[in-house]
Amino acid sequence: MNIIQSTTKFATASVVSRFARFQNRFLISQKGPCRGTSNYNNATSTMEDIAAHPVETSIRLKINSSLTPNYLQVINESHMHNVPNGSETHFKVVIVSPEFDGAPSLLKRHRMVNSILAEELEGPVHALSIVAKTPKQWEKMTEENIEISPSPSCRGGDGTLPKR
Amino acid sequence: MMSLNMLSRSVTRTALLSSKRLGPVSFFSNNDSHSDFAPQRKTISDDDEALKMIHEHVQTNHIMLYMKGNPSMPMCGFSATVVKILKDQGVDFSSVNVLDYPSIREGVKKYSEWPTIPQLYVGGEFIGGCDIITEMHKTGELADLLKPEKSDDKKE
Repeated sequence: MNIIQSTTKFATASVVSRFARFQNRFLISQKGPCRGTSNYNNATSTMEDIAAHPVETSIRLKINSSLTPNYLQVINESHMHNVPNGSETHFKVVIVSPEFDGAPSLLKRHRMVNSILAEELEGPVHALSIVAKTPKQWEKMTEENIEISPSPSCRGGDGTLPKR
Repeated sequence: MMSLNMLSRSVTRTALLSSKRLGPVSFFSNNDSHSDFAPQRKTISDDDEALKMIHEHVQTNHIMLYMKGNPSMPMCGFSATVVKILKDQGVDFSSVNVLDYPSIREGVKKYSEWPTIPQLYVGGEFIGGCDIITEMHKTGELADLLKPEKSDDKKE
């Protein structure tokens, strides 16, 4: 199974006009072992996507910037939970990065990601599922056709988030 | 309004004493079929008190799970997954329903420097959340970690 690995440099723009000059698109491959549930079908992020999905975009930007991943998938799983349509509260991130070579322990890798996304986790993100693999581990998963398990289904929530 | 609900779900005498001593901790046993509890109300007044309570919880209970809901009725899919894994591992464990205690819910995040619930502690050490526990369960690492607790010899 081929994995199209692609990351392109993404320049942030806090102002629309600046972004228009530095407009970049980055592609997240839909191929690969990840079969997690996702409503993320659009592999191209545009200015409109950023406006529509600010949290998802921020997550992607920060992970790309901090971990320079070989493969990255940011999946908004909010639709699986008892929150309003269009929410950005529950995410799964699949990250393949050589930065994890120096962090064999799962806890350390997850703490790295938590640290990168600290602002989101203190803010709108209610739950974050992390898959953090080295390139070698990812290659092995691909060869063995091991799929990423979807996140567990909602049990109703704790009542702190606006419901559907 | 926060209150401390003293749950006394137990099978063994040791577990019963443990539950009464530690506040909102409930004890779950794979051999338990029903829980009786007598609520005793107490207010957790501040963050420091919550942190001290958490420290005592994790030091006193070998397997300690902070979760949403309780083992019989989890209120979160991630918490439910960890509960199922622990049951599959055949271990008894203690738990706190953080939905009942907002100060513990926030306190445990500070204590472990981990932003989400559920949180599993073994031997006083923070092990991880749902993703890590699931992965460790798949690889067998969790079974090795919990091995001393898997005993068919239950004290009556």
